[in-house]
Amino acid sequence: MSQIRELLDCFKKVATCPGKIVREYREKTGKGAVGCFPVYTPEEIPHAAGMLPVGMWGGETTLRLAPSALPSFACSIMQSITELQLQGVYDSLVAVIVSSPCDTLKAMGQKWRRQVPCIQFAHSRNTKIDAAADYTRREYQSIRARLEAACATTISDEAIQTSVRIYNEHRQVMREFSGLAASHPDLVNPIDRHMVMKSAFFMRKENHTVLVKALNGLLAKAAKKPWEGVKIIVSGIMLEPVSVLEVFKQNQIAVVGDDLAQESRQYRVDAPEGADPLDSLARQWLSMYGCSLIPDPEKSRFSLLRSLVEQRGADGIVLCVMKFCEPEEFDYPPMKAYMEKNGINLLQIEIDQQIQSVEQIRTRIQSFAEILRAQRARRASIAQL
Amino acid sequence: MYTLGIDIGSASSKAVILADGLRPVAGQAIQAGTGSSGPKQAVERALDEAKLTLSDIAASVATGYGRFTCELTDRQVSEISCHARGVSHQLPSARLVIDIGGQDAKVIRLDAQGAVWQFLMNEKCAAGTGRFLEVMSRVLEISLREMGAYHDRSSRPAAVSSTCTVFAESEVISLLAAGAAKPDIIAGIHRSVAVKVCGLASRVGWEDDIAMSGGVARNQGVVKALEAELGRPIKITPEPQLAGALGAALYAFDQYQSKNKTGG
Amino acid sequence: MDKSATSREMLDYYLKKSYADAAAAKKSGKKICWATSISPCEFCETLGIHMLYPENHAAAIAARHGAEDMIQVAERKGYCLDICSYARLNLAYADIGRSVAEEMPLPDFLLVCNNICEVVIKWFENLSYELKIPLITLDMPYNYGPEPTERGVDYIVAQFEDCVRQMEIITGNTFDWQRFNEVMDIALESSFWWLKAMSLASANPSPLNGFDMFNYMALIVCLRGKNGCRDTFRKLTEELEEKIRLGYTAFPGGEKYRIMWEGIACWPYLNFTFRTMRNSGMNLTGSTYPVAWALEYDRGDLRSLARAYASTANNSSLPGQIDLRVRVMREYGCEGATYHMNRSCKTMAFLHHEMQGAVSAATNTPFISFDGDQSDPRNFSGAQFETRIQGLREMIDQRRQARPGREGEL
Repeated sequence: MSQIRELLDCFKKVATCPGKIVREYREKTGKGAVGCFPVYTPEEIPHAAGMLPVGMWGGETTLRLAPSALPSFACSIMQSITELQLQGVYDSLVAVIVSSPCDTLKAMGQKWRRQVPCIQFAHSRNTKIDAAADYTRREYQSIRARLEAACATTISDEAIQTSVRIYNEHRQVMREFSGLAASHPDLVNPIDRHMVMKSAFFMRKENHTVLVKALNGLLAKAAKKPWEGVKIIVSGIMLEPVSVLEVFKQNQIAVVGDDLAQESRQYRVDAPEGADPLDSLARQWLSMYGCSLIPDPEKSRFSLLRSLVEQRGADGIVLCVMKFCEPEEFDYPPMKAYMEKNGINLLQIEIDQQIQSVEQIRTRIQSFAEILRAQRARRASIAQL
Repeated sequence: MYTLGIDIGSASSKAVILADGLRPVAGQAIQAGTGSSGPKQAVERALDEAKLTLSDIAASVATGYGRFTCELTDRQVSEISCHARGVSHQLPSARLVIDIGGQDAKVIRLDAQGAVWQFLMNEKCAAGTGRFLEVMSRVLEISLREMGAYHDRSSRPAAVSSTCTVFAESEVISLLAAGAAKPDIIAGIHRSVAVKVCGLASRVGWEDDIAMSGGVARNQGVVKALEAELGRPIKITPEPQLAGALGAALYAFDQYQSKNKTGG
Repeated sequence: MDKSATSREMLDYYLKKSYADAAAAKKSGKKICWATSISPCEFCETLGIHMLYPENHAAAIAARHGAEDMIQVAERKGYCLDICSYARLNLAYADIGRSVAEEMPLPDFLLVCNNICEVVIKWFENLSYELKIPLITLDMPYNYGPEPTERGVDYIVAQFEDCVRQMEIITGNTFDWQRFNEVMDIALESSFWWLKAMSLASANPSPLNGFDMFNYMALIVCLRGKNGCRDTFRKLTEELEEKIRLGYTAFPGGEKYRIMWEGIACWPYLNFTFRTMRNSGMNLTGSTYPVAWALEYDRGDLRSLARAYASTANNSSLPGQIDLRVRVMREYGCEGATYHMNRSCKTMAFLHHEMQGAVSAATNTPFISFDGDQSDPRNFSGAQFETRIQGLREMIDQRRQARPGREGEL
């Protein structure tokens, strides 16, 4: 087996059994894990406490207990989280941290029903003024205080400073990976790519950085082969379950870039270095952009996607709309108009973690790939003339 | 002295005649609901069964989806109260009533006297209702009556979504296309109904005994799936589809009595 | 306005006038602002900017049965049916500029305040993007704890100051802080008389038929900073006090049950829901709306203003929301509650399960829940509503019977 394949399998192992990873971390270090709800959490704070920050992005599970706690028109990530919560899956965590960027998450923080402390917070939603940085810094300060109480430890500025540097380096490495994966679709298929991204939520970032760096090194040295299939950019909250990614793979569709909240949006912006690490993190929040959950009347997400398509030579965009996610659903109509105006192919699919059958998605993706291939053939024949 | 209870559902009509507020002397169900000749037929057949005419009936009450359209009586009681009453009359120890009808799935929590304490019903969508099972039976080409027997032959229930009928229908079609065994699909369908209903039940809370009424209670597969989800045995009333009409006949008896007491 | 006019006539007059004034202002080149329902009106009012409220306008479209066509317009643009129907109606209106409701001139800028929900952030963002006009944001951080934090108040005050600067640039006028104090006085008085009038629903029997509240609400939403609003609710208070003195009941046959209605009205079925409840002898006496616009603050104090606007019911923690409803049920003598499982309003609906259990236990009252939507007529079933209302009545009767001293119905 090639070294690249070995490494990719390693990421897959981490991404597919987080429970085991958390247990091992506790046994090895004597420290616990802190659950971080989607979408953005200043993970650097629990990281600085020596904890393992774990991303809580739901998963494939049958909803048995959730319907008694959450109406059916809540998004499927929150349905899964509710289900797993009521099953007791999160009971071994030291704390969970919940942000409040949408109405569903506001409610989720209030509906938490387990003994594990729930630390809710609210980012500034008006990122235009300087007072927002001060507010967010103090909000992070409050997270630190509540987390210190939950972990019975203190979290020093120096420790957070170190974590900020570790996270910045990790972001850098992840951005490089996204570019390298795009130039080697023959070596990194859509599922592999997703697993590399997802595994970051279950590892200390310094360790994840080491692995991804190794992978990047191998990819950089590998020969670039021409890709016969189509290339697309994916956008949305997340692209799961794996059965949907499987459809991409089967249809020879390469994911050459993403604007997913669970993937590249996490790595888009670094925290500026400064004397006060919480201020650095607050300023990072203020400079984040291009996400449906970050208010932006300019809709910079659209131009960002357009340049990503151009940079990576993609044939089109697949917008993965999380069912019942209003922030994403609001972005679709103007995005559709924008892409039409700019001659960029856009396919919308609906994401549901509990989906039992991908047949409808298969049909849509397959026909989209056929359209893109036909377009490319047409372009090639025109070029020959 | 005879009283009549009529339960006019979306897909079927039921009538029960009660002697002296205690003893059922007739019970009929017709597979035609509100807006059809079903209600009239059910009442006529019940009268025939009891060898009575309409003039023998001292009081009557209508319940069910079509209760306001019933011309035989001007007295209506909701199906929640009627099902609770009917079940409680037959199973006085019942504290939770599960009723799965054509349009609605309801769970009714009873107090120590057997009176309605709190109830919850499904969201507007038909998942978890009799209609849902009907749609599935059509897709699978297996009659509703046979579904219980198929359920028993399942070794590995298939995963069927419990959120939406339209969605579940396409899932079942793809399961069929993928060659899944019909017993497993049916067990999966029953489980999805049970999950939906159990979600409602856990919001009102439950203690023993749990009883079930409504036509779907005759499907042993659903009952077994519900028992598995709830982790408790379920008692089924005799002729569960008639529980609502029986409750209505009991309310009619109350009405007769209170009228006679006040001399009206 | 004629001194002998009833509050109902005043309501109609001032509402019509507000839309007519806005249309005239638009023609003469004055600035128009579209704003969210509980955003601070004090700043625009001081600068003489005409404010209009898309939520109120969307409700009017739905109540006049004009929603379905507009929703199709929004759907053709790609707005999926899971999105808040007010937003869908308004985004369609912004596109086609007409509806069955009053003409609402297109805005020159937008004022969004997320103390009611986060959906408005996306909705107004889309308006700003499509209409290419400035968006002023007043972010009121969610109170996951018991009350607004000092850091939150500092941040909101800074946004107030920034909002004034932006409005000065948009209008080219200077903000008059003396006039600001006068406007605050009027807004405070409007809030005072609104709450005073609505709280008379606690009388037994209630002089106010609860669905009237849904109608009067338009004025407190749209004209809180104006004298007409204050005068109307002062007049309404007089009328209701007179009714109480005469022992008037809002219902033929008397008010048999007093109910709390949780959530927004079902505007397309306002009449149907009202009639169904009335036929069961139910009066809607309890609602969280009276306190929603009873905004109290210290005149001239921006910190106090910030706290008031940050403390809305929807921006409160779950325990705060439960307390509020328990208080409403007790103050207004409600024996049962009906919860509108509103497809359009995740912010309210997603806490229903917890609220229902806690409020019902604290007040020892039953509740029902029904599916509906504030303005999309497709998400409501009349038969379901009737059955559940009847079920509620029967449960209340049952509890009355169990409790000696009250007459049972069944």
